[in-house]
Amino acid sequence: MLSYLLLYCLHRFNGERSLAAVYHLLTGKKSAQTLQDSKWFQLERVFGIYKTLSLGELEQAAMQLLQNQWIVSVDERSYVLTEAGKEALHEWLVSARFFTHLNGLLYDTVDRLFWYRLSLTVQTLSNLVHRRQFIPIHRHEATLTWVKTYLLSKNLHELAETLHKELHTICSALSEEEATILTLKLTSFTRIGWTNEQIAAFLQKDRLYVQLTFQNVLHYMMKRAERESKQFPILHDMIKNLVKPVSLTLSAQKTYDWLMKGKTVKEIARIRHLKPSTIEDHIVEIAANVRDFSITPFVAEDTKRKIIEAATRLQTRQLKKIRDAVGDEISYFEIRLVLAKAGESSVS
Amino acid sequence: MYLEQRLYETFGYRTFRVGQKEIIEDVVAANDVLAMLPTGGGKSICYQLPGYVLPGSVLIVSPLVSLMEDQVQQLRLRGEKRVIALNSFLPDEQKKRALMNLQHFRFIYASPEMLQSPLWQKALKNVAISLFVVDEAHCISQWGHDFRPDFRKLGAIRRELGNPPCLALTATATEEVRNDIIETLQLTNVRQHLYSVDRPNIAIQVDCVDSVEEKVARVLDYAKTLQGPGIIYVSSRQWAEMLAHKLAAEGIEGVAYYHGGMDSEQRLLVQHQFLCDQLQLVCCTNAFGMGVNKENVRYVLHFHLPSQLEAYVQEIGRAGRDGKNSIAVLLYTHGDEDMVQSLIEAELPTDEQVRLFMAYGNELRSLVEINDVQWRLLHYMVEKERTNAHTAEEMIANLQVAIEARRQWKRNKLGQMRSFLFRSHCRREQIVAYFQQRLEKKPINCCDRCTLSLDSYQRKQTDEPAWAFRGWEEELRQMF
Repeated sequence: MLSYLLLYCLHRFNGERSLAAVYHLLTGKKSAQTLQDSKWFQLERVFGIYKTLSLGELEQAAMQLLQNQWIVSVDERSYVLTEAGKEALHEWLVSARFFTHLNGLLYDTVDRLFWYRLSLTVQTLSNLVHRRQFIPIHRHEATLTWVKTYLLSKNLHELAETLHKELHTICSALSEEEATILTLKLTSFTRIGWTNEQIAAFLQKDRLYVQLTFQNVLHYMMKRAERESKQFPILHDMIKNLVKPVSLTLSAQKTYDWLMKGKTVKEIARIRHLKPSTIEDHIVEIAANVRDFSITPFVAEDTKRKIIEAATRLQTRQLKKIRDAVGDEISYFEIRLVLAKAGESSVS
Repeated sequence: MYLEQRLYETFGYRTFRVGQKEIIEDVVAANDVLAMLPTGGGKSICYQLPGYVLPGSVLIVSPLVSLMEDQVQQLRLRGEKRVIALNSFLPDEQKKRALMNLQHFRFIYASPEMLQSPLWQKALKNVAISLFVVDEAHCISQWGHDFRPDFRKLGAIRRELGNPPCLALTATATEEVRNDIIETLQLTNVRQHLYSVDRPNIAIQVDCVDSVEEKVARVLDYAKTLQGPGIIYVSSRQWAEMLAHKLAAEGIEGVAYYHGGMDSEQRLLVQHQFLCDQLQLVCCTNAFGMGVNKENVRYVLHFHLPSQLEAYVQEIGRAGRDGKNSIAVLLYTHGDEDMVQSLIEAELPTDEQVRLFMAYGNELRSLVEINDVQWRLLHYMVEKERTNAHTAEEMIANLQVAIEARRQWKRNKLGQMRSFLFRSHCRREQIVAYFQQRLEKKPINCCDRCTLSLDSYQRKQTDEPAWAFRGWEEELRQMF
């Protein structure tokens, strides 16, 4: 299962990124590079979907693919797919239902918070309706507070009935297997929710398969709950004020604050005792993550056009190739900035 | 009679367990108290009950965030609202409110790290603290089995807070450790309540077998025949997973594994399932147990050798908290010591880490791999040597001496663990002697050196029919 996931990423990266990039992508590293990669190569859906992955496991999966001759090495730790590999991937993708709604980048961390609220609400309602004492299944204080406040403002029995209806509607729209996974993960007054591993054993599936299918279901629910507030009043309440934290590293956030105060790169570098190149890294990160951040102050329109033209013509995201094509007068910083923004528009 | 009445009204118990009343009387009379109660002896009542008698707040210092959270949840379950745990996960909103009216809380749980923050210290100074509790107080001592350097600062913190009366609680502390606790916390006229570490309802057995394969076969056999629920301790994450899979493959139902490498949601699920008897058996590392308040654990198996007797006693103590008969079996095969040796090494800072730390300080963490235990220990040792060493070379030399001393001490502890295995003496007597105590009475089922029959630990009732899944629709309907 992991090897197919790796195959999928390698296919998109097309030899332009190493195994380490796949690792950072799947574990959801919030660095400028990884966030951009996920956009450039249209791998948003798998961003951060396997946070407990270890580099060793990934290397093992790569070995497996090499042995199958599904990939060949093009550079140190970079690979491309063989014809057999492409075929295998194609076959797998046809059956990979869990890719339908999965969007790791969009729902990163928010999906966990949504799940905390949903599962704790279900556990609490189920126990209160049946007059049982219980220990909350999560220890996330913010969620505990949210659920407590939410339940206090409502009639319990009505709430239980409505939530039941909403979940029933969701499950009816899912496959039998997806609905089963979702219900087994929930905790009620009679049963503590199952771990991915337990569900995998029950369905005789791979643990990762269960994990991804579940995430797919969550993302599907979130999407519908966001849009159809009439159909899903409670689920909608759970999601509406969940703000996605802007995914900037702390240091980049500080640079951003200074930029907003009108400081230049050099000034910020001096104030923060950092190298100008570090500040530039931050700006690329900001450009990739903050939607309304304009790069015009840093890159002339003309330069921007040249870079996009070269990237499109050469069908590449590799900085060096683009630099060779556009010439020395354009800096790597400018190329990275343009690509950071370009990734976004090519997707939408 | 007054305390008994309080006990009943607040906690629903009619009588105190051994030692509780004596300890509480001393605590309520504002004495400094050092109490050693066996695991499962109801330590938390010793400060929770005074919380309802004393005028001010009770501040409880605890080594593990999860331990605090468990306690807080249990108190809340009992309807106590004036309880809070100070930790770094507190949401901003609640943190702000807590800082403003900290005196409102009856029970304030805190990690030693939190107590060092000037923000919380300032807030705590405005609170009338009637009792300063140090839970798992053996963590204070570098000679304890779970040394937490941050605990050493508790003496100074207590002074900062105006020297409120102190209650130090532990289940496993040798005399050496107890003296260290008294000194560090600067307890004066301390009342010591030392109860026997012995748990008469836990029978003790050691099986020496010829190979690892045989161990696995024994575990399988025990899992099939012993009355659950049970816990199997192993010393690595890989083993926890492997053993759980193996048992499940052999048809044992309700087995799961638990270790520190799992994500916290899956970990909590396993813990809750075990508490609710949804699971019968957990294969785990020593990450499992602290704060798992399960009364009816019937057996504890050790698949690997614990590194010292204190840890062993603590771990077998998770069995039989309800007072009913339970059994602890330790499986040993030749060469198990090697695994402990390498664990000991993995906890000591290496020469390279020492040198890099002296050159780059905290940057070290990004230069070379270092685990939390090594990191804490290194920090502690550097701080301690700071006044003795004048040059960097001197410092490095001193650190190396200190590390070597610790290595020898740990090896010595392992040696004591081994002699526990091989001496032909009553195991129960060996354990109490280790803690400088004497055994007053041996139970009928004592240990494999005395008299012990496994009959009474065999599975009796046939298990309830397994839960059956009748489709998501039915499952969903049942929930609401």
